[in-house]
Amino acid sequence: MEEQQLQDFVHRIAESEDLRKELAGNAALVVSREGFSPRLVNVVMRLVPHLAMEKPLGPSLGWWWGY
Amino acid sequence: MVVGLLATPIMIQNGQSLVNLVAAQQALLVERLSCLLAPLHPVLRADVTRALQGEGKLLYQAPASAESSQPPPLAGMWALATFLIAHYVAPDIDPIFAGNVAIAVECFVCATDLLDDVTDGDQTTTLLALGPARALNVSTALLVLAHQAILSTPQQGIDPRLILRLLDTFEEAALAAVSGQHRDILSEQQSIRACTREECLDIAAAKAGSIMRLTFRLGGICAGADDALCQQLSESGEMLGIAHQLDNDAHDLYHLLQAHNNSALSTESVKSDLERGKKTLPIVLAARDDQTLQRFSELTDEEKKEHLQAFQEAIMTTWGICLLYRERVRERFQALEARKPVTLALRMLLGLA
Repeated sequence: MEEQQLQDFVHRIAESEDLRKELAGNAALVVSREGFSPRLVNVVMRLVPHLAMEKPLGPSLGWWWGY
Repeated sequence: MVVGLLATPIMIQNGQSLVNLVAAQQALLVERLSCLLAPLHPVLRADVTRALQGEGKLLYQAPASAESSQPPPLAGMWALATFLIAHYVAPDIDPIFAGNVAIAVECFVCATDLLDDVTDGDQTTTLLALGPARALNVSTALLVLAHQAILSTPQQGIDPRLILRLLDTFEEAALAAVSGQHRDILSEQQSIRACTREECLDIAAAKAGSIMRLTFRLGGICAGADDALCQQLSESGEMLGIAHQLDNDAHDLYHLLQAHNNSALSTESVKSDLERGKKTLPIVLAARDDQTLQRFSELTDEEKKEHLQAFQEAIMTTWGICLLYRERVRERFQALEARKPVTLALRMLLGLA
C-alpha cells in the first residue's frame, strides 16, 4: 500500500541523519531503490527538499484556492 | 526535518487568469442564485446572503486591501466545479439547467459548512455575525434551497426521471456526509490509540470526499454522462475531497508549529482541535498518548519540543498522502483527456493545470 510505504519512508528519513545526507546528495538513487510506483516517486521527489534539506517554504498549500 | 508546506499558485496559465476565464460563469451562477433567493422573507434572505458571502462562497468578495502571500479564494468554486464539469461533458448543455444544479451544490456546501462551524465551535466571520441559532436556521434554509434549485428545473423542460436521479444522488451524498460528521464527532471520545490511519482516511472520505464526489457527479449526471464517466468523475471528486481535507489538517497543524516560534499567529482552531480530542490524520500519526494531545497547551517548553519532531513527521506524511491522492486524481483526468480535452478553466480550478 502506497500510504504505508510513504509513512515508513518519511519515518526512516526523520530518524536517520545518514539517510537525510544521502537523500540530499542523490535523491534519485535513494528513491529508485525503494521500489516505489511512478506516482509515489513523483510525490516523494516533491517532499525531498523538506525531508533532506530542511527547506522551509511558504506557509500555504493553496491548491484548491491557488488559482 | 523542518516542515514547510508548498504553495502552488496557479493564478496564470498560458497567459490566462482563472478569474477572467470563469467571470461569465460566475455571473450566470449569481443570477441563478438571485432567482432562488428572491421569494425568501427579507430577514431570512439577508442572513442566507450573509452566509453565501463567506470565504470562497459564490457571493464572496475579497477585501480590496487584503495583504497576504496567498491569493484570496475564488468566489463560488464548488458551484463552478459542477458547472464546468457539466460543460466538459456536454458543451451544448442548457446553461440555466446546469446553473441550477451548480447552485444546488453551492447551497448544500454552504449549509454543511455552517453546521460544521457550529459543531466545532469555530469562530468564523459568518458564525460570529449570525450566532449559532440563526446559523442553524440558515443552514436548514440552504438545504431546502438546494432541493428547490434542482426541483425548479422541470420549468426548463427537463425529463422528470433525470430530476429524480439528481435528487437521489444528492440525498445519498448528504447522508454520507452526515454519517462522516457523526463518526468524526464520536471519534473525539475515542482513545487516540484506537484510531488508525485508515479510519482517519475513511472519515475524510465520508466527510469531504462525499461532498466533492457529489460536486463532480451532479455535473456529470445533469450533462448526460454515461455510467462509466459518472463513476470516473465521482471517484476523482472523492479523492480530491480527501486530498483537500488532508491539506487542511496538515496546514492547521503546521500553523500550530509556526505559532510555537511566533506567538502572533492564530492557532485557536488547532488548539481547539487538540483540546477537543479531534482525530485528524496528522494528530493520530503523531500521537503518543491522549493526555499529551489534549493538554498540549499546558506542556512545558521542553516537553513541547520533544513532541514537535513527531508532529513535523506526521505533517510531512499527511502532506505526502495528500499529494498521493492528487496524483491519483491527475491520472484519472489524464484518462478523461484521452476521451476529449478537459478545459483549461476546469484544470486550473482543480489545481491540475
